[in-house]
Amino acid sequence: MLQSNSADALTDQLSQLTGDVWQLAPELSLVVSMLLLLGYDLLFKKHKEIGLAAIAFCGLFATGVVLSVQWTQFDSSQLLMNNLLRLDQLAIFLKLLFCLGGILGLVIATRKGKGPNLFHSGESLVILYGLLLGVFLMSMAVNLLMVYLAIELVSICSYLLTALLKGKQRSEAALKYLLFGAVASAVMLYGISWLYGFTGSLDLSNPAFFVALTDIPVLPLSMALIMTLGGFLFKLGAVPFHIWSPDVYQAAPTSVVAVFSTLPKLAALVLVFRVFTLLPPVFDWQLVLGVVAIASMTFGNFSALWQKDAKRMLAYSSIAHAGFLLLGIIANSSAGQLSLLFYGAIYLVMNFGAFLLIKQVEGATGSAAFESFKGLGSRMPYLGVLFVIVMIALTGLPPTAGFTAKLYVFSAIWEGWQLHEQPIFLWLFIFGLLNTALALFYYLKIPYYLFFKTSDQPVGLNHVQTFNKVWGTIVVLPLLLLFFRSEWLMNVLNNISFVL
Amino acid sequence: MTGHLLTYIIFLPLLGALLVALLPQRLANSYRLINLVTLGITLVLTIVAVSIFDGSVVGPTNTEEALQLTEKAEWFSVNLGSLGRFSVDYFVATDGLSISLLLLAVIVLFIGAIASWKIKKKRKGYFALYLLLSSSVLGCFVALDFFLFYLFFEFMLLPMYFLIGIWGGPRKEYAAIKFFIYTLVGSILILVVMIGLYNSVYDPLKTAEEAGMIELFNQSGVEAISQAIETGQIKDSQVVKSFNMLYMANDANYLPGSFLSKESLAQVFGQSARWMAFLALLIGFAIKLPAFPFHTWLPDAHVEAPTPVSVVLAGILLKVGGYGMIRTAFSFFPDSAYHYSWLIGFFGVFSILYGALNALAQYDLKKLIAYSSVSHMGFVLLGLAAMTVEGVTGAIYQMFSHGLISAMLFLVAGVIYDRTHDRLIENYGGLAHQLPKYTVVVAIAFFASLGLPGFSGFIAELMVFIGAFKSASFIGAIPMWMPVVATLGLVLAAGYYLWTLQRMFFGKYWVKDTSWHEHLKDLTLREYLMFIPLAILIIWFGIFPGTLIDLINNSVESFTQLMVQSVK
Repeated sequence: MLQSNSADALTDQLSQLTGDVWQLAPELSLVVSMLLLLGYDLLFKKHKEIGLAAIAFCGLFATGVVLSVQWTQFDSSQLLMNNLLRLDQLAIFLKLLFCLGGILGLVIATRKGKGPNLFHSGESLVILYGLLLGVFLMSMAVNLLMVYLAIELVSICSYLLTALLKGKQRSEAALKYLLFGAVASAVMLYGISWLYGFTGSLDLSNPAFFVALTDIPVLPLSMALIMTLGGFLFKLGAVPFHIWSPDVYQAAPTSVVAVFSTLPKLAALVLVFRVFTLLPPVFDWQLVLGVVAIASMTFGNFSALWQKDAKRMLAYSSIAHAGFLLLGIIANSSAGQLSLLFYGAIYLVMNFGAFLLIKQVEGATGSAAFESFKGLGSRMPYLGVLFVIVMIALTGLPPTAGFTAKLYVFSAIWEGWQLHEQPIFLWLFIFGLLNTALALFYYLKIPYYLFFKTSDQPVGLNHVQTFNKVWGTIVVLPLLLLFFRSEWLMNVLNNISFVL
Repeated sequence: MTGHLLTYIIFLPLLGALLVALLPQRLANSYRLINLVTLGITLVLTIVAVSIFDGSVVGPTNTEEALQLTEKAEWFSVNLGSLGRFSVDYFVATDGLSISLLLLAVIVLFIGAIASWKIKKKRKGYFALYLLLSSSVLGCFVALDFFLFYLFFEFMLLPMYFLIGIWGGPRKEYAAIKFFIYTLVGSILILVVMIGLYNSVYDPLKTAEEAGMIELFNQSGVEAISQAIETGQIKDSQVVKSFNMLYMANDANYLPGSFLSKESLAQVFGQSARWMAFLALLIGFAIKLPAFPFHTWLPDAHVEAPTPVSVVLAGILLKVGGYGMIRTAFSFFPDSAYHYSWLIGFFGVFSILYGALNALAQYDLKKLIAYSSVSHMGFVLLGLAAMTVEGVTGAIYQMFSHGLISAMLFLVAGVIYDRTHDRLIENYGGLAHQLPKYTVVVAIAFFASLGLPGFSGFIAELMVFIGAFKSASFIGAIPMWMPVVATLGLVLAAGYYLWTLQRMFFGKYWVKDTSWHEHLKDLTLREYLMFIPLAILIIWFGIFPGTLIDLINNSVESFTQLMVQSVK
């Protein structure tokens, strides 16, 4: 009797798991593409590039299609895999963004330039897919163990992607990245173990987890949470866990950096959102995140001022943007969530735009140092104009969606200040705005070198491939359109219900 | 046709910019023609607009009654979760406060287009940017939705940055970035207030529509809707927040208990929130104006900018600062304006004297003119601080008149620089012998600027003084000693202009470098085309001030009326 009962339970569980698998179709599609890439790599010896590229692109498109179908049909929230994951619209929306990011990353990789080609062998593509799988899982994880696994999956893929393609600078960056990542993971794991000790559970989807935390004294609770936060901040690239990013950004191939600078960041934000907004009021998480946000914005911007390399500058700029993105969470309201997602989506487009254009400069001059931008504006005027638009968007000036995104985020912070009247909101407001002015200083360096400086090299009109122009336009156009019609994106976001 | 007149005026230059950008490089010679023709048509359209404009329309400046050539359509409306819905309109119109500046802008832009005729370097970029700049400047003067206004206001910076930074003088990069950063800090202050304002102000019509209470609105107006919000009959989520600048200027449209409403007790850094919001707007626009101590970008930008860009900068861009104060800071927070009128008046007077003293000490002709601009913009502040009809009329008149005069002054400096590439006053002497016609033009410009009767500057300054003297007894906004001290500015202006005239143009003919001699030829036809219309306009508005005052008078009166009401 007992035996048959446990057998029933097991079959129940198994059938539940197999049922859940269909909800994970996007992830399955990624895994299948990975296998295809590996198989193709093994079977064919020569002229692999086209085939690999085709599989890589098709895999992502297929995932995108599956996600779009899911988006239209799924409008609730469902726990999967024994409460390890939760599928909701927020996760689907983010996965759509990640998919878009993956495609754009591959597009950047197809552009010829200095350095190794991502399509030479299957392994780097497989690792890139692994990273995508990791961020997909991060956006759904509701169990601290799953959170850790997903973060590690992303991290390990990132170390490998940095190190895989040879070069002295690269191995140094990868080693820094690895050491730093290992420390961050260890700290996070230690924090998680404390939380497990407090509550006896790792399940974030269970309200009892947060209820149990209310009884814990402030000091140990804060220590545990701040340690856990450390792992998230590492992925987010926020102060004080940002030190790896400039070296990695400078050393890694541009397409990979574009992915690094956006997807893990957004995924980490969702984790911060899922863990911190539910915490008991004993722990003033808004203050902690507020301090991190102010430090990230200010430190990122001040460091960016002194950079001489466009990719390094964008690394610091992404540290600053991590601070801005945190503002949406700190506001802790539906306006904050909407503005966070809006900012996140626009940030993704802006960053891919910037790296796509940098890759084209690299292709033309062989370097991403500012020196090599000199006088390019008159040789490639179209590229120059696109660059100006992207930089203006990153600064947050109209008429670009970068402005709209900042307006929404600041409105949410304003509302938070009105509601809670905590001084941290006012300081966030002030520092955020001051940082916008500061940011202008370095973002304008690119137009400055493009248009104000003249090149030492012989003048001649560089031939810009139509393909580059087209892709540049495709990435930059949404930045203008979503300024004039921000409701197009906002209405989509309004449909998302933020279940916690 | 006239229904969309303002839209045509704003977007025609934008079309021109696109045309310039799309035409291939081998047609580069046609760019300047496109520039001129586009702005010429815009000028004609604006003159049509001014002639249609009816100066006798009376109505409070915070309602649509006083507006003419109005165009309003919803641009977008977004639901931002707990912040509720807000809507942004494409709302352009003109009234007495803006019509004169719109006219001025188009005139100066057209003159600037003539002055740009000789630009050789990177012509495509130059003319596309010039037209882009024109479009945003014109939009700024007629936009009545704060979001739209901010878009135009902010978008001015970018073309200007490139125009100074690429086509400027030796220290162009420094000047361009300084200009950009300064004004950006100003616009960020404005942005802060904009966020605060749109979260405090609602659109009664759209709110009524949203809540299905449109009949109530039609019957009993804004108050009923406001009451319904207060009692909870209209839910927070149904309130439609608005960027409409007329609503922002009307206390009835503030959400009950909101942060910036008139009854609000909210404080920022221990000060009333409304006062702080007013100060932020004031400083934001004072940077643009520029007033002491936010003026330091101006001399650099002017000295480095090419002549046509200097003309546009001094002629129009500075006026956006003054106009912004009238349209936003003073209109939205009249009570705070009254509270700070002493401060505004003081910085006005200080700018007048400080600018004049600095002008007296300059060696560079263009820098002298730049500092004289600081001095003259001080009169705008003084007139506004007076809060009397004469004072405000004087302020607007001063902006209009200074726009024409400073355009002429910078062109004057450009003429000598074109010939010798040197602008130092001490390097010339007795130019009147060599360049008699040029000397006449310079004399007209200098005398107009120092406020000689018969020129437009005189009328403007006279009205500012009348208004400022009257203020103490009429409304008590500024004390009597302020206009008294400010008169010293007139004396100093006479001092630096006459001294410059004497050093450069009179006495024995002498130039520092003898090789300049062959280049020093008198005015060309193109230069006459710029100077003669300007001179005629300056004299016309000096002799027939009614032409302008009739257009703006009613609006200014209702504007000051609102001020007085709010103080009582």
